[in-house]
Amino acid sequence: MESKRQVTVEPSPLQGEAYSALPRDAALLNGHKPQVMDAERFHDASERILASIGKVIDGKADAAKLALTVLLAQGHLLLEDVPGVGKTLLAKTLARTVDCTVSRIQFTPDLLPSDVTGVSIYNQSSRQFEFRPGAVFANIVIGDEINRASAKTQSALLECMEEHQVTVDGHSYQLGLPFMVVATQNPIEMEGTYPLPEAQRDRFMARISMGYPDTDAEIEMLETHQAASPLINVTPVVTAADVAAMIAAVQQVYVSTAIKEYTVAIGRATRESARLRLGASPRSLLQLLRAAKATAALDGRDFVLPDDVVDVAESVLAHRIILDRKAASSGDTPQTVLRGILASLPVAQEPPGAWRRDKQSA
Amino acid sequence: MTATSHRGSPTTYRGGPSQQVPSGEAPGPTPTSRPQAPGLYPWIMAGSVAVAVLGAALSLNGVFRGWAWFMPLITTVVAVALTLAILRTLRIQPLVTTLGALAALAGILSFTFCRQDSFLGFIPTTGTFAAVGRLIKRAAETVVSESAPVAPNAGIVFITCACLGLLVILIDALAVPLSMPAASGVGLIAVMVVPATIKPQSVGVAGFVGATVGYLLILGCSHWFAPDARLQSGAPRSSGQIRRSLVTGALALGLALVVPLAIPGFETGTFPQGSRLSPWGTSNGLNPMITLGNSLRSPTGAGRITYSTSSSAATYLRSVTVDHFDGETWAPDDRSATRRAGVDRIEPGYSIQGEVVNAVTSINAGLFTSPYLPAPFAPVSVNGLNGRWTWDPATLSIMSTESSTLAQRYVVFSAAPKITAQALSQATGKPKSISDDFLRVPGNLPSIVRQTAEQVTSSAGNNYAKALAIQKYLRSSEFTYSLQAPVQNGYDGNGLSVLADFLAVKSGYCVHFSSAMAVMARVEGIPSRIAVGYAPGRLTGETVALVGQGSFPEYEVDARDAHAWPELYFEGLGWVPFEPTPSRGVVPEYATESSVPGSLSTNADEKDVPGTAVTPPPSTFPLPGGDAQTAGSAPSDPLPTVIGTIAAVLLLAAFLGSPRLSRVVLRRRRLNPKEPADRGSPGHQDSAALAWAELQDLATDYGVPSTPSETPRHFSSRLRSSSILGEAGGLDDAAHAAVASLTADFERQRYGRPMEAASPAAARIAVVRESLRNNTSWLVRFRATWLPPSLMRRWFHALGAPFRAVGSLFRRTGQGIARSWRALRGLLPQRR
Repeated sequence: MESKRQVTVEPSPLQGEAYSALPRDAALLNGHKPQVMDAERFHDASERILASIGKVIDGKADAAKLALTVLLAQGHLLLEDVPGVGKTLLAKTLARTVDCTVSRIQFTPDLLPSDVTGVSIYNQSSRQFEFRPGAVFANIVIGDEINRASAKTQSALLECMEEHQVTVDGHSYQLGLPFMVVATQNPIEMEGTYPLPEAQRDRFMARISMGYPDTDAEIEMLETHQAASPLINVTPVVTAADVAAMIAAVQQVYVSTAIKEYTVAIGRATRESARLRLGASPRSLLQLLRAAKATAALDGRDFVLPDDVVDVAESVLAHRIILDRKAASSGDTPQTVLRGILASLPVAQEPPGAWRRDKQSA
Repeated sequence: MTATSHRGSPTTYRGGPSQQVPSGEAPGPTPTSRPQAPGLYPWIMAGSVAVAVLGAALSLNGVFRGWAWFMPLITTVVAVALTLAILRTLRIQPLVTTLGALAALAGILSFTFCRQDSFLGFIPTTGTFAAVGRLIKRAAETVVSESAPVAPNAGIVFITCACLGLLVILIDALAVPLSMPAASGVGLIAVMVVPATIKPQSVGVAGFVGATVGYLLILGCSHWFAPDARLQSGAPRSSGQIRRSLVTGALALGLALVVPLAIPGFETGTFPQGSRLSPWGTSNGLNPMITLGNSLRSPTGAGRITYSTSSSAATYLRSVTVDHFDGETWAPDDRSATRRAGVDRIEPGYSIQGEVVNAVTSINAGLFTSPYLPAPFAPVSVNGLNGRWTWDPATLSIMSTESSTLAQRYVVFSAAPKITAQALSQATGKPKSISDDFLRVPGNLPSIVRQTAEQVTSSAGNNYAKALAIQKYLRSSEFTYSLQAPVQNGYDGNGLSVLADFLAVKSGYCVHFSSAMAVMARVEGIPSRIAVGYAPGRLTGETVALVGQGSFPEYEVDARDAHAWPELYFEGLGWVPFEPTPSRGVVPEYATESSVPGSLSTNADEKDVPGTAVTPPPSTFPLPGGDAQTAGSAPSDPLPTVIGTIAAVLLLAAFLGSPRLSRVVLRRRRLNPKEPADRGSPGHQDSAALAWAELQDLATDYGVPSTPSETPRHFSSRLRSSSILGEAGGLDDAAHAAVASLTADFERQRYGRPMEAASPAAARIAVVRESLRNNTSWLVRFRATWLPPSLMRRWFHALGAPFRAVGSLFRRTGQGIARSWRALRGLLPQRR
């Protein structure tokens, strides 16, 4: 709780009457659009962010890239792994790399919804109720061990994640842009926890399992991180406005009909698969496409390739689908089922025969 | 309730779909979740088994005459299969099910064959068993005494029904409780072995197809309803399976039909038709007329016999006389009652007038095994034989009931009347001293035989002239000698209908020629019989010393010299052999029209040209016209042949070159799209996609086929990392760059924003192709050029379209049936 209070206490613009209904960045959402960052600067910025993360987290370039992808795709990230592999470190590093407001919530069973969203307090001097924003009013919100909080508190976070707004006492307060929740979850020690229900898992764009680093990366980690926390050396490399511009650039990425068809085909395949009890939801397909767009942009392209979709499909979909009991007992995992589906699903390519082209264009 | 009933029948119902249901739900009390319901399975399985057995039984058609035997068989098989299905549906224990099926078999057999002897018509009693014993005895008699298409009498049909009914139970037991459906094929093969060995046409298409269909159904059935969920998991029964199995089956069938045509000598040579495994080996008591054809068709000369004789020419060796013609078949009459023991002194039962020629013949039977002793006609005494031998006064055939000719060396003294044309033409006396049996003609003789006989002998005066006329007719160029024609046309045998067929088709071998002449002679009033034995054979080049006679050349004969010839009786001269078979044996001097001595050349050439037009000995039968006709057709007119050859070569070239040509045309069309102008920008836009298609096909041709589920980028990187494109950075760097830029172009065109045309791809494709050619072996290059896999795959895909259509039709029909069955079952009251 201490740490939360320490980080959440932010400069004044978020507080008081000036903050009544419109947050600072509301203009970015409602009014004129943010500047679209051009490809070159986009590339530079993304390189800087990834390099900065790479300094702290050794040998996890994929996870770092995926985290950045989720940030640029305006999604939320779920980090799920055993303790001590750097989940929180990754979240913190990402937050620090960007010059924006950061808050951290350590989820505990006694955490209340108002701790997350904020609360209206009666100001005796002004004789009015004043809204004191909760921890969620930040650009990047780190939710540690999210499954330790009660379902009530978890669902308080839900509304914020989905709608980018907080409703207290009938008032809606817009959240900042960029806004990203990075939640960590510990799959071991499930006792006394409240596992995220399917509906809640569906709101996270991607789930990353960090995994153990390889031998070289681990040795390097032991060497460099002996003295002090590596976080100290991390300085912001981009501003929040830069990130907003990057997000705008990602939104400009072109998606052809073929890609849309391919995405839908993936979704249908998961729903029709005999080995899955629950397939991918339409929201998950939307998020899959957004993640693919961010991937394409990070790759320096202004259009999405099937490869982009395939790259993020596992991270985006694996935590949303539920295996059939038979498949689960025969040793399948959501990852293997997804891989099987992707390996058998035809990619929307131009059919190889010239005569078919005639038929198609006719 | 439900749970109790399950415990009551702890059936190892291994085939049913029940095992898919998780065990946790098994004792669910709701009537809707009936976990052990066997559903359609027993019925489909029983149907499959019945189809398989009945299909295999179709091949027995030539073993039995007609189709009368098939109806009892159907009732038996269907009754047993129905019983099985019903018992399975009622979820009776497997052992009890099998026993029940056995009981059903016994019941249906009693009902069909021994209704009077059974209680209530179908319950077997002791009387039934006695009747069954009689039936079995009758069947045994049939097996021993009759040859290939046997009449379907009650005994043999009973045995067949019983065996096939048992087979149904056996196959079902293998397929369902024992879960070894594949092994059930052994039983089907057991059925088809019978026709394969006995029938000259072997199993036949219908039987084979029927058995195969049934067998595949059994396999498919046990797969679809597999107890192991894993076997049928992930395999939607619908899509690939049926199509795949259909294509596989069609390919196998096609190969089986095409390969024998392509391999030379499948009908002659190594596997001559009809020379298949003969269960009776060389003749041993069964009808020698039947085995003769098999001997003649045997590829190797089994049963070699050597002999040397003091007579001036090589002689015919006679082992048995076939004189009994009952209308159905010619068969030897052993006359065991009147045979006489002891072969020291053999006397013909008739008197011979005139000069008698004596000869001494030393014979080594070697490995030849037969109860009949080969000897020259007419034996007077035989020395040196082991065992007890008897001779028949009527036919002078020598036979042993206990020993055989195996490894016998013996000397035969024979005395034959000197027969001349003059003597024959004077022998017009009415036949005395022989029985009327030799003149008997069955009443149901086909009219063609009588007509032909009368037509041929219309101008002949005496018996000799008639015999000569018949022989001349049969040796004329109208008739051809062929071992295969009777088999192919289905008249390989010696019955009356066979004779009619032979006279119509005019092609056959010695059995047909000799029986035709014998019957026609009887029609004309000349006593006749058929001698079966060996044509003279070949000189071995060695000489053998005969006791008291000097040394004589040795001859050899083997199974290929097996022969049958007619003997006609002339009063005063006895039995006189004739030779109506073209190109075989020696025509005796007296049997030629002009008494020019027949050449000594025997049957040296007939092996080379079986079934072709036979050129009779020119000295004996000058055939005007016939020669010219046969000789003139081929070489006279070379032009059509040449044109035909050229056309054939061109066609062949076009056929062989068509893949390459199509591929080149396709490449041209892709790289130089014709109509960019009238289509405007779309035509331009397509260029990158067309180039990409070409790149994919190119990679497919050289061994890196693209899969539909991979992205362009993935395919590109796979192509570049494969060895066929060479190493990046080296000589083939240009190709790598070309592949990369083609991929980028395609991606941009396919997935990027609409934009203007990419640069022409022809040059880059050429670079890639060059690199591919440089980095692959000549075999791959050859294949890519002449049989491009990309094209072949598409063609085969197109060829498979009908099969896929049929497959989807089957699938939809099956689904419809299943749906209506389910709806129907929903209407029935639930079983508790």
